[in-house]
Amino acid sequence: MAPAFIMLALFVYYPLVRNVVNGFYEWNPFTLDKKFVAAANYIHLFKDPVFFTVLKNNLLYAVISVILQVGLGLVIAAVLEDKVFRKFSTFFRTTFFIPVLISMTVIGILFSFVYNPEVGMLNSFLKAIGLGSWARGWLGDPKTAIFAVIAVSQWQSIGYTVMLYVLAIQNIPGDLYEAATIDGAGKIRSFFNITVPQVKEMTFVLLVYTVTGSFLVFSEVYVLTSGGPSNSSQVFSTYMYQKAFIDNEPGYASAIANVILGITLIFYFVQNKFLKTGEE
Amino acid sequence: MMKRLLHLAVGILLLMSIFLAGCSSQSSTSNANNGKITLTFFYRWPNEPYKSYFKSVIADFEKQHPNIQINEITALNDDYKQKANVLLGSSTPPDIYFSWAGEYGQKFIRDGVALDLSKYFQQDSSWSNSLIASQVNFFKKDDKFYGVPLFTDSKLFFYNKDIFDKLHLTEPKTWDEFISDLKAIKKSGTTPLILGNKASWAAAHYVTALNQRLVPKDVLDKDLSYQGAKFTDPGYVEALKKLNELKTYMNDNPNAIAHDEARNLFLGGKAAVTFLETMEITYMKDATFKWGTFKVPTIEGAKGDQDGLIGAPEGFMIHSKTKHPKEAMEFLEFLTSKANGEKLIKDTGLASTVDGAVNTNTATDHEVDAMNLIKGAKNMEIWTDSALDSRIFKPYGDGVQAMLGGSMTPEQVMKSVQDAAKQVNQ
Repeated sequence: MAPAFIMLALFVYYPLVRNVVNGFYEWNPFTLDKKFVAAANYIHLFKDPVFFTVLKNNLLYAVISVILQVGLGLVIAAVLEDKVFRKFSTFFRTTFFIPVLISMTVIGILFSFVYNPEVGMLNSFLKAIGLGSWARGWLGDPKTAIFAVIAVSQWQSIGYTVMLYVLAIQNIPGDLYEAATIDGAGKIRSFFNITVPQVKEMTFVLLVYTVTGSFLVFSEVYVLTSGGPSNSSQVFSTYMYQKAFIDNEPGYASAIANVILGITLIFYFVQNKFLKTGEE
Repeated sequence: MMKRLLHLAVGILLLMSIFLAGCSSQSSTSNANNGKITLTFFYRWPNEPYKSYFKSVIADFEKQHPNIQINEITALNDDYKQKANVLLGSSTPPDIYFSWAGEYGQKFIRDGVALDLSKYFQQDSSWSNSLIASQVNFFKKDDKFYGVPLFTDSKLFFYNKDIFDKLHLTEPKTWDEFISDLKAIKKSGTTPLILGNKASWAAAHYVTALNQRLVPKDVLDKDLSYQGAKFTDPGYVEALKKLNELKTYMNDNPNAIAHDEARNLFLGGKAAVTFLETMEITYMKDATFKWGTFKVPTIEGAKGDQDGLIGAPEGFMIHSKTKHPKEAMEFLEFLTSKANGEKLIKDTGLASTVDGAVNTNTATDHEVDAMNLIKGAKNMEIWTDSALDSRIFKPYGDGVQAMLGGSMTPEQVMKSVQDAAKQVNQ
């Protein structure tokens, strides 16, 4: 096991520790002379107005992802697995799942066309149905940019959660539903009293998966807006990237990376705790 | 089971060490192998038509200098900046690398990664005198030369002559004429002015030009110098107010489209005027209409320079850690010879800084005109985005973006720039 451990130490733990250390330094990427600044990077971070935009955006990402991917995802899965829909469910499942398979970069470029204010599909559609006053430069307006990006993420990821829920629902013994029907329970009643509790394990996994994912999100934002306009759609990873590779402040970027590490570690412990109290 | 895992792990490690050893021996022998000197050349054109140009010049050079081999590393624009941050600080930096003029290059000089080339400029004066002096000056610091400009670039308003003729408008010389032209175009139902400011440098170029017109030159020079920035002159706020005045005539969502998209819309006849770099003249061959250019209009009563142009050259520096400065310099001189300068404008549309390389044989009339304008300019202001420390430009560019989106006033934008300048000066 020793070689495996050496590799793990070399490629995982050493960089991690180095990054924590780097967070206390300020340096010039060209001359590599480092200056120890203690907690200055962190103090600066908590005074940085962009940091709060970033935090707000990541939280928005998490909340919306939980509602749509976990909440709506379960509803869609339940509908697809319903007897009435089962005939078409293969078709719908494929439709929902296809975006998961497309690379985020491709999706990003696709949606830059959809959102384009001059020739984009979205504005043309709004104008066609008489909502022309709603048309705007979705990615260029600080008020809508982050929501436009979050929407793309939901469109892409919901297929994944739907698929996992479909699997979980298929594992529920059919006689539970039969018994409920005999007892006179309607579809909505059986959804809340049978489906929701029976897929609890899956819900926990997906909750952690979507929330952690929301804090690590990068490609969507980078491809669609690069955090702009004027930082309104900046998230943790894009801001870290901006600081490290564009603004030449690697020490500050390390500090941001450590904050991300802290947040995701918290979710990791939450996951551990919840999964251990689960049924298995 | 345990034993098998161990074997596997040892096997992987063995394979990796062979692989790593293979890599290192390969790179170390390329120097000694056939007695050739290897130069690493790091530039930002992996795209056509520039790629073929550089490939063919490198091939020519290697043919004439059989003892030198050029290894290329390339990355496009923004990626270049990121790669440069990593490569130039590494233990084996590239020998020759690309740099923009302004703070971007000055930073390399200050940090000591740019080699002082003054010696070579003096030794080979027939070569150094063949470069346009005003453009070489962009790479100077304390009377020493740190870079060789490859091409130069400026920015002008390009307009659709068909639209102007139809409305009986003329090229504006002053701000008031400009506004009245834009007003007339708006009335006719066409978008007067198109801007793609998804990346904030696009509007920053407007700001560069307006600052030049509205802020006294000595104040501007001081604010653009490293650690001298204050940005307290009232001219800066005036400049942003002028930009806000133009906003009335622009496309609705300048922040939502990219510069190239805006240019394509202009080429498609969707707008009457746009602000383009002279190196973009190449794209104008796709225009289906007659077109012309005019300089940024003068502003009556303003305290800045009313004749100046904006723009800057781009060029190359040699890394201070290079083992072969002489050979690296030979390559740069070859790159900026008259013949290769002529080839540059012909093949790529980039206006070579070799005097006379842009002529009626090698370039279009528009390109020659633009070159003459640059050569005649007494004062060329570097783009704000490359003239300023990125920590000051970030709030500036972001602020202008927010202002165009309607969420910040000119005063608020300048306040945030002043705050950033104060922080950098500390």
